[in-house]
Amino acid sequence: MGRQDRRLGRRMVLPLILLLVAVQGYPMAFAVYISAHDYRLTALNEVRWVGMEQYRGLLGNSSYWTAMQNTLVFVFGAVGLELLLGFLLAYLLWRPVPAQNLFRAILLTPMFVTPIAVGLMFRFLLNNQLGIIPVWLRTIGVEIDWFGPSLALFSLILIDVWQWTPLMVLLLLAGMEALPIEPFEAARVDGASELQMIRYLVLPLIRPVILAAILIRMLDAFRVFEYVYAITRGGPGERTETILFHIYRVGFLYFRLGEAAAMAVTLAWVIFALVVLLFRILRRQEAMT
Amino acid sequence: MTGLARSVAIKAMPAWRILRWSRRWPILLRFGMLSIAAVAVLFPFLWIFLASLKPPVELSRPSLFGFEPTSVNWSEVWLNSSFARHFLNSVIVGGLTVIVSLIVGAPAAYAFSRFRTGGTGLRFVILAAQMMPPALFIIPFFLMAYYVGLLDTVWAVAIAHLTFIAPLVTWFLIGFFEDVPRDLEEQAMVDGCTRWQAFVQVVLPAARPGMAAAGLFAFIMSWNEMFYALMLAGGHSKTLPVAIAGYWTFRGVDMGKMSVAIISAVIPVMIASFFVQRYLVRGLGGGALKG
Repeated sequence: MGRQDRRLGRRMVLPLILLLVAVQGYPMAFAVYISAHDYRLTALNEVRWVGMEQYRGLLGNSSYWTAMQNTLVFVFGAVGLELLLGFLLAYLLWRPVPAQNLFRAILLTPMFVTPIAVGLMFRFLLNNQLGIIPVWLRTIGVEIDWFGPSLALFSLILIDVWQWTPLMVLLLLAGMEALPIEPFEAARVDGASELQMIRYLVLPLIRPVILAAILIRMLDAFRVFEYVYAITRGGPGERTETILFHIYRVGFLYFRLGEAAAMAVTLAWVIFALVVLLFRILRRQEAMT
Repeated sequence: MTGLARSVAIKAMPAWRILRWSRRWPILLRFGMLSIAAVAVLFPFLWIFLASLKPPVELSRPSLFGFEPTSVNWSEVWLNSSFARHFLNSVIVGGLTVIVSLIVGAPAAYAFSRFRTGGTGLRFVILAAQMMPPALFIIPFFLMAYYVGLLDTVWAVAIAHLTFIAPLVTWFLIGFFEDVPRDLEEQAMVDGCTRWQAFVQVVLPAARPGMAAAGLFAFIMSWNEMFYALMLAGGHSKTLPVAIAGYWTFRGVDMGKMSVAIISAVIPVMIASFFVQRYLVRGLGGGALKG
C-alpha cells in the first residue's frame, strides 16, 4: 500500500472522525464534567464543583443499586430466554418445512416495531380490565396480575423476549447456514444421533456466532427504557426501575443532572467492558473466515 | 456420475441434509411448533388492528370480534389531530440522519475495508460509539440544546440520533465494501481513474444494495428511537414514538386512536424491513459474520 493510499485513507476517514468528536467526544467529556459538579436543572447559575462526591454518593445509594440489580436480572433473564427460544426456532427453520419463507418473514417482524408501541400493546393486552389475555385465562380459572409486585419485572422480560428473540433467530440461523457439511457426513458415518450432532457439532461450530449474538443482545437490553416508560414507570415500588429509567428519573424528573450524569458514566463503563468482549469475538471470527 | 461430480454435489449440499436422516423431529412437529410461534407473533398485531376499528364505546369491552367496525379512529387521528405532523417529523429526522451518515460513513468504511486506516483501534471506536448508552449523552445534549435554543426542535433529535446512526452505518458498510471485488476498482484505475474516482464511479454503484440496506436499517432505528426524542422534543416537534406514548395520559388511555397511531408507525417499517433482512447479519457483524 503506497503513501498516496494512506493519505487518501486518512482523508476519507476524517469527516467521520470530526462528526464523532462533535456528537460523541465532546458530549462525553461534558458528561464527565457535569458528573463532577452539583448541576441542577433548577439552579443552572449555581453550578458547584464537587469532584468525586457524587460517585461516592452512589455507593450508598440504594435506589441506584436496586436499579442496577433490576437491570442485570432483566438482561440475563431476557437474553437467556431469547437464546434458548432463538436456538430452537432457528434450528426448526434451518431445514425445509412447509411455508419456510413465510415463517421466516413472520417470525422476524417484532424486532422492527418501535419498542414503545410493543410496550403499550402488551400493557393493554395484559391489562386486567381491557385486555383479552386475562379474560381467556379467567375462563380456565387462572388469575394473574401481570404487572403486580411479584411478576412485573418478569412480564417486562417476556415482552423483551417477544420483541428480540427474532434477532437471535436471525443471527443463529445465519451461523447454521454457513456450517460446512464435512463434519456432519463424518458424524453420520459414525452413527451419531441428532442430539449428539447438536451437542458436539452444531453448538461448538457456531459458538462464535452465539457469543456475538448474546453480547449484541446484552448491550441492547441494558438500554431498556420504553417498556418501563410505557407500562410500569418503575413500579410497583422500585420493582421494575431499570438503570436507564432511573437516570431519566433523577435527571429529568428530579432535575439532579450531576448525579444522573455520574450514574450514566458508571453505566458506560459496564457497557464498555461488554463492547471489548464483543469486538474480540468478532475479530477472531473474521480471522477465521 | 463421476467421482469428481459427486464430491462437488455433496460439497454444495447444506449441512441440514445430513440431519434429515434422523427421524427425531417429524415434520408435523416442527410445523406445529413454528405455527405456535407465528401465532404468538401475529396475535398482538391482530388485536391492535381490531382495536383501531372499534367504536369508542366498545373499547372497554375486552373481546376480539362482535362489533361494528368503524373508521372514526382513523379519520380522527389522521385528519383531526397533529399526528400527520409527528409522522412528518419522524421522516425528517430519519431522512436527515441517514443522509448525513451515508455521506460521512461511506468514504470512511471504504478506507477501513481497503486501507485499514486507523487499524483495529479505530474500528473498535466505531463499534463502541454505536453501543454507548444514550443516558451518557442525553444530559449534555439536553443542556447544549437548551443553551443554543434548539430544544424542542426536530434538529436536536436529528443531531442526537447521529451519535449512534453514523457509526452504525459505517459499521454496516465495512462488510458491504469488503464484498465488492477489488478487481473492479483496479480495472478502473488501469483505465486512468484515480483511486477516489474509482471509489465514486465504480465501488459506490457496485455497493448500492448494501448502502440501501444500511440506510434503510438506520432509518428504521431512527424512526423507532424514543429516549432522545422524548427529552429533546415536545409539542409540535414530537416524533412518532413520543406521539404514540402521548395517547396514554393521566386522564386515561385513548385505545382506538393509540392503535391507529401504532399501526401507522409500524406499517412503513414492516415494508422497509423486507428489503433489509437479507443484509442484516453481514451488517451487524461489521463484515465478520456471514450473512
